[in-house]
Amino acid sequence: MSNTLRPYLAAVRSTLTAALTLEDFASQVVERHNKPEVEVAQSKEVLLNPLTISRNENERVLIEPSVNSIRLSIRIKQADEIEQQLCHKFTRFMMQRAESFVVLRRKPVKGYDISFLITNNHTDSMLKHKIVDFIIQFMEEVDKEISEMKLSLNARARVVAESYLAAFNS
Amino acid sequence: MEVNFRKIDIDQYDEDVLLESELYEPDPRDPAQVISDAKQKAATVRTSLAQGDIAGALSIVLEDAPYGPNVEEAKNLTLQTLVSILNSTKATEISGIVKSLSPDTQDTLMKYLYKGMAMPGWGDVSGSVLLGWHEKLTEAAGTGCIVRAMTDRRLV
Repeated sequence: MSNTLRPYLAAVRSTLTAALTLEDFASQVVERHNKPEVEVAQSKEVLLNPLTISRNENERVLIEPSVNSIRLSIRIKQADEIEQQLCHKFTRFMMQRAESFVVLRRKPVKGYDISFLITNNHTDSMLKHKIVDFIIQFMEEVDKEISEMKLSLNARARVVAESYLAAFNS
Repeated sequence: MEVNFRKIDIDQYDEDVLLESELYEPDPRDPAQVISDAKQKAATVRTSLAQGDIAGALSIVLEDAPYGPNVEEAKNLTLQTLVSILNSTKATEISGIVKSLSPDTQDTLMKYLYKGMAMPGWGDVSGSVLLGWHEKLTEAAGTGCIVRAMTDRRLV
């Protein structure tokens, strides 16, 4: 793991562990409703200060905690247009299958590429440190995945161009 | 007549509505005094930095840090002073310094670290320096320090 990535992931891990102290909390505005407070944002006393962890301008994580849910948004590194496209397709693919990922949100928060919504039901049914591990692993994998896809895309483009241009070589 | 009357937030006219200002005790100081305090501290910090007393400089700048509305200028000045201290510290000295701070000062430092990370590229804020400090501070002060930075409404 590179030198700057490790403290970044460590900071996300400790902040996420601190934020994941959730409890069951019914809506104060609508009777008999129980919604993630960070999404409805109707009572400000249960929303905590959002925290940002950034490695540089292009890579950051926003953690918005509340009493019964947290929202974690990731901005993935995109150095050029190919990476932007790959990142867009990749996150779209995942977000269309958000149910299978349980904690994934169907739409990212504005300014970020992918968002997770973790509620008290998730922390009840799953182990907290496993959720944290999942998010950290996701962040590690997604960078690797995108750079791998970029390499194979370039290799494929080279092969295609070579075999296409070979026709004009004779 | 207003057509979108269903979209009016009627709760804001409730008599026991919770206001932003009721969430925390306001700063007793006057905004003008806060900014002059911040300027004075910036000057003191520069002299103690010149003497190499980084722990002393940190506790000066983090003591009575400005918070609340109307003091944006003082907040920015404090952040700038703090970032200059953080950037001029050697990586090996960090853990000793954060351990020597008082718990309250550690909490304020944590708040400023998150504030700095929320605005990358501002001034000479550098992500890797802040992340290094964050790691050492979490080691010294534990998760509780992050929770206090998260729950304290007195935003720096």
